[in-house]
Amino acid sequence: MSRQKQLTYSQASRELQQIISEIESENVDLDVLAEKVKRATYLIKFCKSRLRDTEEEVKKVLTEIEDKAEETGAGDGASDKNQQDIT
Amino acid sequence: MEKLSINRTACSLYELAGLIKTAVSDSFPESLWVIAEIAELKCNPKGHCYLELVEKNKDQTVAQIKATCWSYEYRRISRTFEKATGESLNPGMKIMLLASVAFHEVYGLSLNIRDIDPTYTMGEMARRKKEVIERLHKEGVIGLNRELPLPLVPQKIAVISSKTAAGYGDFFHQLDTNPYGYRFVHILFPALMQGREAEASIISSLLQISKKRRLFDIAVIIRGGGSVTDLSCFDSYELACHIARSPLPVITGIGHEKDDTVADIVAHTRMKTPTAVAEFLISGMREFEEGILEIQQRIHSCTGRILRDEGYRLDRVSQRLSFIPSQLALSAGNRLEMLSKDLESRIRDCFRNERNRQGGMEQAIRLLDPAQVLRRGYSITRHKGKILRDASLIRKGDTLRTTLSNGAITSIAKITEEDKGHEQTETAYLLPGF
Repeated sequence: MSRQKQLTYSQASRELQQIISEIESENVDLDVLAEKVKRATYLIKFCKSRLRDTEEEVKKVLTEIEDKAEETGAGDGASDKNQQDIT
Repeated sequence: MEKLSINRTACSLYELAGLIKTAVSDSFPESLWVIAEIAELKCNPKGHCYLELVEKNKDQTVAQIKATCWSYEYRRISRTFEKATGESLNPGMKIMLLASVAFHEVYGLSLNIRDIDPTYTMGEMARRKKEVIERLHKEGVIGLNRELPLPLVPQKIAVISSKTAAGYGDFFHQLDTNPYGYRFVHILFPALMQGREAEASIISSLLQISKKRRLFDIAVIIRGGGSVTDLSCFDSYELACHIARSPLPVITGIGHEKDDTVADIVAHTRMKTPTAVAEFLISGMREFEEGILEIQQRIHSCTGRILRDEGYRLDRVSQRLSFIPSQLALSAGNRLEMLSKDLESRIRDCFRNERNRQGGMEQAIRLLDPAQVLRRGYSITRHKGKILRDASLIRKGDTLRTTLSNGAITSIAKITEEDKGHEQTETAYLLPGF
């Protein structure tokens, strides 16, 4: 659940692209500009730090792998089906 | 019965075996080239190699003969074979061998292998590989994995390798000590990377990763350089199918100099070595970050420009604003000045006009003053105290009093005709003091 709430790289990247195109169109109100720059700064900082700090990610992956070790992956029907086709 | 057996001549088994041995060696005096498939292969501690050679027709064995390769021959033959094919001699392989046929009294018929021609096996492997590729094409799976989009940031990596595989350590070391300080999440899914069980083992790891694909961005299959043998599992149809159908993009770094294996062909991205895979992943992260940094730069310069422009505009506006009061004051002052000048000149005009008018009046008044009129030579004649304007009112003998500028004359009228009036008065002048 928390994974869905968390910002992804692609979301951050898309939002940054949008902000830069808005700013570069130069139709930005100064008040809005300040907000946009603030948001962009946050997104950039988020990406840069996430590239370098994965401690939480590692923990999450490890616990999920342990938790799901015995599961058969009920939610992964599509790929299982693919794999079963050829086994 | 007894009699018969006494009369019959019979040879002993040993004699028979000897006969067969002779027959065989007579029939096959020379070594000959044979094509066969290896069904079994075992080496004993002394280095002698024992094989079962078979020929199959649609999975049915139609011929089977034992073969032996003595250690001194086997060492040379297997080395040459591995060098040429990249594979060690293994069951399932088709080979062309030079063999002498021999019959041993105890061990029976067997082929004694003197040489193996690796070019035949290479051709055979190439043909099989081609068949596998064609089949994958036909089934439409060959490009499946390549169609998956590469993740924007390949940070979470499922690794299929063996802890004992060469290059495994290098791979992780390189990822973990990259110069940009990026952190990767990498989880090892151990598999055998060579030998007969490698194929099944790698497939099992791929299946495990598929079930946990949401935890990862990418899967890599790595196997270090060093040994160049036993790559045949990477040419297998089954493994290729699993790689192609993997829900995660698969990157291979199988570590070989030769042609790509089928696994490389179906993988999303093929790299020569584990080190190259690590570089690829790091560069993927770098590319993403450079994109972010470029946007950061653009935002910085663009915002700077906008703020500068806005500052200029404010300056201009404030400058204009600061001019307005002085301009206003100036124009108001000008108007006031003009007004006051106007007023002044008007007042002056007014005064002048008034003066002129008064002057005129004075003059007129002066000119009209009876004294002045008298001084210019006019005179006033009165009759009975009244100013006389009409001569006809005078009768002969009337007394007239004429006032001059200087003094007065009293006269008596003599002639009353108007045209002779002057003469009368002239006469009167002759009587000063009258």
